[in-house]
Amino acid sequence: MNTHELEQLLMQQPVSLLHRLARGRISRHFRSGKRKLVDLLLQASAENRPGLESDLQTLIEERAHRPQPAHIEKTRSAQARPRPAPTAASRPHKTDDHSHHEPPVSLHEWLSGIGVPPPQPFIPDAWQVDALAKLAETDVVVSVPTGSGKTYVAIEATKRAIQENRTVIYTSPLKALSNTKFTEFSRVFGPGQVGILTGDRREHSQAPLLIMTTEILRNLLYDAAGGEIDVRLDTLGLVIMDESQYLADPERGVVWEETLIFCPSQARLLLLSASIGNPQDIADWLTAIRPTPCSLIRHTKRSVPLRAGYLHPNEKLTPLFRTAGIPYGQPHLLHPEAKRLFMEYEEETGPSRSR
Amino acid sequence: MPPSIHPVDLVATLRQRNLTPAIIFLTSRRACDEAMQSFERSQVTLPKAQQEQIARVLAQVTEQFPSIAEHPLIETVQRIGVAAHHAGHLPSWKIAVEELMRTGSLDAVFATTTLAAGVDFPARTVVVTQSSIRKARDFTDLTASEIQQLAGRAGRRGKDLVGFAVITPSPYIDLTVLTKGLTGQPEAIHSQFVISYPMVLNLLKAHPREQIQSILAKSFAQFQLNQRTAVLETKLDSLRAEMEPFGPRVCSDWITQWQVFEQARKRKKPRSPFARQESPDVAARLHFLTPGRVVGVTRGRGIILRQYRSKGQHAPMVTLLREGGSLNECPASIVTQVFDRTFDCEETSVYPWCTPQTLEQLTHHLTDLPPRLPILPILTHQHEEAPIDSSIIQTLGDFACPTCPSRQACQRDFPRASRVRQEIQRHIKSIQALQTSLWHRFQERIDVLERFGYLNANAQLTADGEWARLIRIDHSLLITELIRAEAFGAIDPPLLAAVMASIAHDDDRPGSFPRGSAGLVTLLFQVRKLAESLTPHEAPPMLRADVAALTERWVSDQTLTWIGLARLTTMAEGDMFRLFARTIEFLSQLKTLKATHPSLAESADHAIAAMRRGVLEELP
Repeated sequence: MNTHELEQLLMQQPVSLLHRLARGRISRHFRSGKRKLVDLLLQASAENRPGLESDLQTLIEERAHRPQPAHIEKTRSAQARPRPAPTAASRPHKTDDHSHHEPPVSLHEWLSGIGVPPPQPFIPDAWQVDALAKLAETDVVVSVPTGSGKTYVAIEATKRAIQENRTVIYTSPLKALSNTKFTEFSRVFGPGQVGILTGDRREHSQAPLLIMTTEILRNLLYDAAGGEIDVRLDTLGLVIMDESQYLADPERGVVWEETLIFCPSQARLLLLSASIGNPQDIADWLTAIRPTPCSLIRHTKRSVPLRAGYLHPNEKLTPLFRTAGIPYGQPHLLHPEAKRLFMEYEEETGPSRSR
Repeated sequence: MPPSIHPVDLVATLRQRNLTPAIIFLTSRRACDEAMQSFERSQVTLPKAQQEQIARVLAQVTEQFPSIAEHPLIETVQRIGVAAHHAGHLPSWKIAVEELMRTGSLDAVFATTTLAAGVDFPARTVVVTQSSIRKARDFTDLTASEIQQLAGRAGRRGKDLVGFAVITPSPYIDLTVLTKGLTGQPEAIHSQFVISYPMVLNLLKAHPREQIQSILAKSFAQFQLNQRTAVLETKLDSLRAEMEPFGPRVCSDWITQWQVFEQARKRKKPRSPFARQESPDVAARLHFLTPGRVVGVTRGRGIILRQYRSKGQHAPMVTLLREGGSLNECPASIVTQVFDRTFDCEETSVYPWCTPQTLEQLTHHLTDLPPRLPILPILTHQHEEAPIDSSIIQTLGDFACPTCPSRQACQRDFPRASRVRQEIQRHIKSIQALQTSLWHRFQERIDVLERFGYLNANAQLTADGEWARLIRIDHSLLITELIRAEAFGAIDPPLLAAVMASIAHDDDRPGSFPRGSAGLVTLLFQVRKLAESLTPHEAPPMLRADVAALTERWVSDQTLTWIGLARLTTMAEGDMFRLFARTIEFLSQLKTLKATHPSLAESADHAIAAMRRGVLEELP
């Protein structure tokens, strides 16, 4: 493409695309008009024409793949300045929502239903049963919202492994959590059945359930690989890793990876994680590197429903969203009262807002 | 209007709406403590039954952790049923608060967002007052995962029918961040694989170098890189398909052929200095602008001292001696008239381009010139085609292109074909980079370890490498180098603990601390020097002398109580506990060097034993 062709091509593009193209190439590009912008782009890219061309191509392709933005552009400009009130034609889904949830939820409605559920025999959720069933055959990654009952799965899985005379290692990211779990599991399994390992201390290190931080397990695995076998890794039947979303921790995430790579193949893996965006990736990864396949238990619904509210500094409480529950995927469905109050707040505190 | 709701009113509102127990997330430890203080003045007291329940639970926890018996906050907590829970507290106190929440004895807990993952207790309601948190000195918006992690604490299974997440504005809030976070999908996680020195040593201990690449390939990092590779490969496939019509023509590699031909042809275009297109009259005058020539410019007259071409544009330029004796560098186009008069000019190769005598003479001549001088008539040729350089004609003759039957097709397709080909090469290169980046990083580490003598030329562990691989903590290179430099020769346990504490501590919270001993100051100076010399290979630790002094005091003075130590410094108890716990962790790594460094291991063992007393004995 020579300069002239490129110039013509640039002139054919909408200004918005040119501005996107100018990002990082031209400072204060938003000040220039189209003609000027094209000139500046050509000047600025004199050194790296191919770079400009390829970026231009991608932007054009992107535009082409978007569902008819050009059409909306046209209708908007055709409607010109005093736009008629109903924009139904261009934005059908939003109006739909409005008609759907006509009156926003009232505070009374929102607050109703607080209370303690009647005591009932504990029945595990379907996903919990499913996770335990899958664990008999495969490794399992569990990704569920906070407070859904991951610990139940850990306890049941441990019970089964202990019955089969196999050792269980439970790792947590923080020493503080290890201590909490140590107390909690000691209550469930009996004090002699649970051990804890830290850098310099071991309590009940012969117990069938060992609690430790992930770093300690990683060190054990390295020792085993280096020839100094320390813990009964050959009888190890199950490794439970709590809070596995730490895999993405900038400083310590690598420890989770090392542990998972070197985890003995005869041991089952149970990864417990809070909700993350790509649990399937982790399951696929483990399937790829370990002899046993890995199943994913994903569950997004909370066992106790959640409602969101807004509390104004003057102690006025309103629902945050138009619906009682949380409208997933629709952050714009704010309750009009909450919206009004927050605008008021912003206006009053606005000028002094600083970090 | 106040910038945010007062904590006492907040708790009162929650109580009134039956939204307790609640966890209230505040921006900082200080905010939590201040919220607690504001309750001290309030008149609210709990009913007797609840007060007794709190006392009962606390008594139970105290049995296990005697250190909390005298905690200054017990009274307030018991009276008002509200507590704070943050990293500045001792773990045992945090356990007590968690236990109180679990038994439902408290109405509210003020907690910091920074340790949301460490808050392992649910409530009916979660109150969020901020939309960003401080990460590494900077405020960043909370991610959807983090917001859901916070909100997720609301609603206790089996105890609540519904949970509530209440947002209350504070100066640190952006409502859209929170609403998007509440309604959005949690973010995908990405591998943070870093290759550390101990990792290299431990892997090479167990596996030969040839196997390492296949082990690295098993990492989640490589898995995600492969995902990116896959995307690139599909793109590459489509590019290859796009390349299809541009297969071999008359010549098999017609794109390169045409490219070279183009270049050769373009070289014919004025690249050489004299082929530059000047306006005809300037070009015609150029021959006359020789040193010593008198010329007329727009204002006044001058004598040419030199003619040359500008560096960048190859524009014809002259150095002009102006009336008044000034020397100007100006474009040749400035010359409007060429006079029929020249003076002798003795040229030199440097400024002022002629000998000083000549310059003086010329300046004189210039002032003495008569007002009218004969003008030299110059014929301007109308645009004469510059003859093509014969060498280029020869090169062009080597190309078959001008007469080739596919010439037109080549000319038409070349721009697109060459672009696609470039893209293909770029993609192939990025795919290669993605596939080998981990291994490259590993090899860089091998090189460093080899230079320091932990590995031999075959990437096998040397005697030093054998023990160095047991140090599997941050700043491992610094620690192993210190050991090799015999900095810890026959070191006292307090000094060893102090140095380890300064290496282990990575928090820059300021405060006041006791002073260290002279021995510690000298040793730390040496450690700092070594750490600086290692900077290219390992980021240096903060090496704070104040936390080292605190640790030294705790280890050397066995009669010092925890409370006594806390009085020596403004450091929060929780931070002190974490500092010592991390120091013990580092020391216990030194303890594993029993076989090769018995005296050091023994010293580390003594230091651990000396540190483990009082509060530090309560938890494993």
